[in-house]
Parts: sequence; C-alpha cells; structure tokens
Amino acid sequence: MPTLDDIKGVGLGLKRELIPQIQRLFHDPSIGNINFVEIAPENWMGAGGKAAADLAWFVERFPIVCHGLCLSLGGPDPLNIDFLKQVKQFLAQNKIPLYTEHLSFCSDIQQGKPGYMYDLLPIPFTEEAVKYVAQRIRQTQDLLGQRIAIENTSYYVSAPISTMDEITFLNAVLSEADCDLHLDINNIYVNSINFNFDAEDFLKQLPSERIVYSHVAGHLQLASNLLVDTHGENIIDLVWALLNQAYARFGPFPTLLERDINIPPLPELLFEIDKIAALQAQHKMKKAQAA
Amino acid sequence: MLDFQRYQIAFTAHIRDPNANKKPAKIAYSRMAIYREIVFNNIFGSVSACFPVCKNVLGARAWRKLVRQFFSNYQANSPIFREIPQQFLQFLTTVENLALFLQQLAHYEWVELAVSAQQNTFINLSKKPDLLNEIPKLTPAHQLLAYDYAVHKISKRHLPKMIESTYLLVFRNAENQVKFIELNAMTFQLLNLIEKNNLTGKQALSKLVEEMKHPDSDAIIRFGVEIFADLVHQQAIIGSTKI
Repeated sequence: MPTLDDIKGVGLGLKRELIPQIQRLFHDPSIGNINFVEIAPENWMGAGGKAAADLAWFVERFPIVCHGLCLSLGGPDPLNIDFLKQVKQFLAQNKIPLYTEHLSFCSDIQQGKPGYMYDLLPIPFTEEAVKYVAQRIRQTQDLLGQRIAIENTSYYVSAPISTMDEITFLNAVLSEADCDLHLDINNIYVNSINFNFDAEDFLKQLPSERIVYSHVAGHLQLASNLLVDTHGENIIDLVWALLNQAYARFGPFPTLLERDINIPPLPELLFEIDKIAALQAQHKMKKAQAA
Repeated sequence: MLDFQRYQIAFTAHIRDPNANKKPAKIAYSRMAIYREIVFNNIFGSVSACFPVCKNVLGARAWRKLVRQFFSNYQANSPIFREIPQQFLQFLTTVENLALFLQQLAHYEWVELAVSAQQNTFINLSKKPDLLNEIPKLTPAHQLLAYDYAVHKISKRHLPKMIESTYLLVFRNAENQVKFIELNAMTFQLLNLIEKNNLTGKQALSKLVEEMKHPDSDAIIRFGVEIFADLVHQQAIIGSTKI
C-alpha cells in the first residue's frame, strides 16, 4: 500500500488521452521517470466500466494522489460532507495516500440554494476568510483522519475588499489550519505577472516544512500583464527558473507536470518530465556535495 | 453572512448572469471577462459534448441561450463533473415551452454517458444458465427505456411529426462498449416483467400470454426463446439466477 513517502520524484497528471499510451509504454524505460500520477476525484469517483478498469490498472502500478477541484474550501455554502465522506471511501478503496485541494472556492448560494460553479474562483484575502477557510480545512482533516495539502491558486481579479497580499493570506491559512502546502510554481509566476509582484520574494516567504509536492505547467499569455493558467502549453523558461530557485532554496521536492488541454503525444511530455528529473538530480548532487 | 461572502456571491452572480447582475465595484471589467468566459465555457463544453443532436436541432444560438439559462438559474448540486449533463437534464424538466420530444431526445443522448459510467455490480449467476426456469439477467449496466418519440431517428432534418412509441435497451457489454438495441413492444414488455417482478422466463412469458389474451401460448414461448437467444448473442443477457 503506497504511503506519502512513495509520492517522490516526478509525477504526471493523468488525463484520459494519456492512459493508453502509458499502458503501452509501461515496461519501456522511456517513461521510467514517471514515479506517481495525480487524478481529480471528481472525474473518477463512482464510475464503473472503462473508467473503473483504467483506475484499477493504475492503482496496481503507480502511487496516486487525489487533487480535488470541487470541495470549495472557501465557498459560502456549507462544506459538502456527503461528498467528503465519499472522497474518504474513494481514497481508501484505491490506496491513495494523499488528498490535496485548492485555496479557492467553486460553489455559491443564489436565491438561498447552494450550487456548483465547476471552476476555481479567488477567495478575498481578509482576516475573516482566513479563519473561515482554516476552520473548513481542519474540519476536512478531522473527517478524513489525515492531513491535506492546499494549493496556491492562480487568479485574475483581485478583490477590492482584500486587506492583505496573497502570500500573507496563504501563510495565515496554512498556520491557522495546520495543513500542508501543495505548491504550484506556475501559479506563483502567473499571479506575479497578473498582479505585479516579485515571484522570488513570494517563494522566499513560503514555509518549506509544509511542502508535500509541487506542480509545474504551461500557461497562456493574453497580454504583457495577463497570463491565464490553461495548462495547455509547454513550460516557459521563467517558470523553469523559478522551479530551479525553489529547489535551491528548499531542496528538490516531488514535482508533477500538469497538462490539461492541447495534450501532445506522451513522448513530447516526457521531455518536460525528464527535465524535471534532471533538475532534481542536479540539486540532490549539490546538496550531497555541500554536506 | 460574512462580508467576504457577500462579495463572493455578488462575484458569482455576475459570472452566472452578467446582464442581470452588475460586477462587484472596483474590478476591471476586462479582468472579470476572463471568469465570465472560462466558467461558462467549461459548462457549455461539458453540456454540449453530451447533447450534440439537441444542439443541432435547436441551432447554435438557441442552444447557447438554453445553456446560459441553465447556468444562470439552476443551482447544480453535484460536485462530480460527469454529472453536469444529468443536472442539465433535470434543469430541462423545469424549462417552460420546451417540446416534449426535445426532453426525451436529451434523455436519450444522456443515457449513453450514464450507462458507460454506471457502477459495476456483481450478480451471482447460475453455473448453467436456464433462461426459462430461472430469472434471466441483463448485464447490470443497462437501461430499459420507453419513449414517446423515435428519439434515435431525430435530427435537424427529421423532426418527429407524431407520437411513435419507441423501446430501447441500452447496455454496456463486456468490452465496456455501450450498445443500443431497438425493441418491439412485446420484447420490451417481456424484459420489463422479468425485471420489475423478478420472474423466470417461463413465468414472464405466461404473464405476457395472459396480458395479451393470446390464443397460442406455445407460439409465445417460442417467441421468448428466440428473443432470449438473440439477447444472449448480443451480450445483453449474461445468464440467469435461481428464484
């Protein structure tokens, strides 16, 4: 049964298009750097048929992380306890040691009724929001009986009612909830361009002891000061540089490549997978030399 | 409600229906446009992928309007992405002046997705199937459906002109492919009797004879044997269980 220690090296976000390719190349050394995979529970829970068969295949062969999208930790409607119980069952059934979510909200209340938006929306950075979200994270951890990690999310609109910056908000939630950090390197970069802050300065303020693993991905540039976190392009050099800085500062933590649209054939993604692995090896060696 | 939640609700109200709800103050309209687009497009894509014939029949503009109405007014309550089309289907039942054939067409289009993802359940089958003296079993992932229109023949060029009772068996075979079989009324009734009342093949067939007041019960039994053999051949019936 995989444990948190098995989430190491490089991972790949599992998309349906990639499944037959990974199955075909499973014994091929070219995919040797894929150590773990990540799935959204909202895409797999409760499904029979082909999806169930595919999931069973991966459960037997790879450590898996659940990276949720719809828990809506910052949502104004009550936390969906039924859903969370199903997640707990899903994790146990599929031997999944880690569940992470976004520091965002994806549901609302209109005319007194809760409803899903199915997308990640930014929580205003206020004291009230810190307490509210942290309480819901603790509630989640209590119900699951395990720690979760939350991801720093990309966003495009800064709430005029915010009373603090993103890094202050993130750190306040992490410490108030006492949960782990699922660090998204691309999101730091995207937000630093969209809201004109120093990405390296953000990085420096992160609590390294809470990082469980990270994401890297490509994004879409709409204007010189506006990037959209599409996960549909190759990773740009400045994001590679930021990952390099993060490794230098915190050591080479596990890192997963996200690619959700414009998915190229697997061999093309392997360039980026292998590049992450090489960067991790480099930093491991530096660390060993320094010791 | 907390201050930041009031802001959140104004924020999502604007995304759901920008014409009816102003964006929160002091936010650039152009930045807000990203959320207006990505959130709606995500839902529009998910719904459109499931209902291509409905989309075609209604036309692009009316379809977009309908999906927007869904997103603006309907509070979807499932966090599972696969269930967005099902939420849309529920929403359709609340839409006024929507032709009944469209509701049924939408259901027919959704069924493929539903059956493809239906959960696997285990049935303890007899070692040697006996479809007449035991209960014939359809593969667990299936739906036995009756529509008022020939939903499987509808297209933009072939809109239904009248009621035409249509019976379908939709099921997932051992290779996880979803198959559609059109049934005649008698076969539908036979399968329905078996399923609703847990009857053996023979019991269901005699009930059928009774209901139809058919003079030749042997002919009905022969009919049943043929139907069962065909459904076994098509992998729809997978065996039988003891009473």
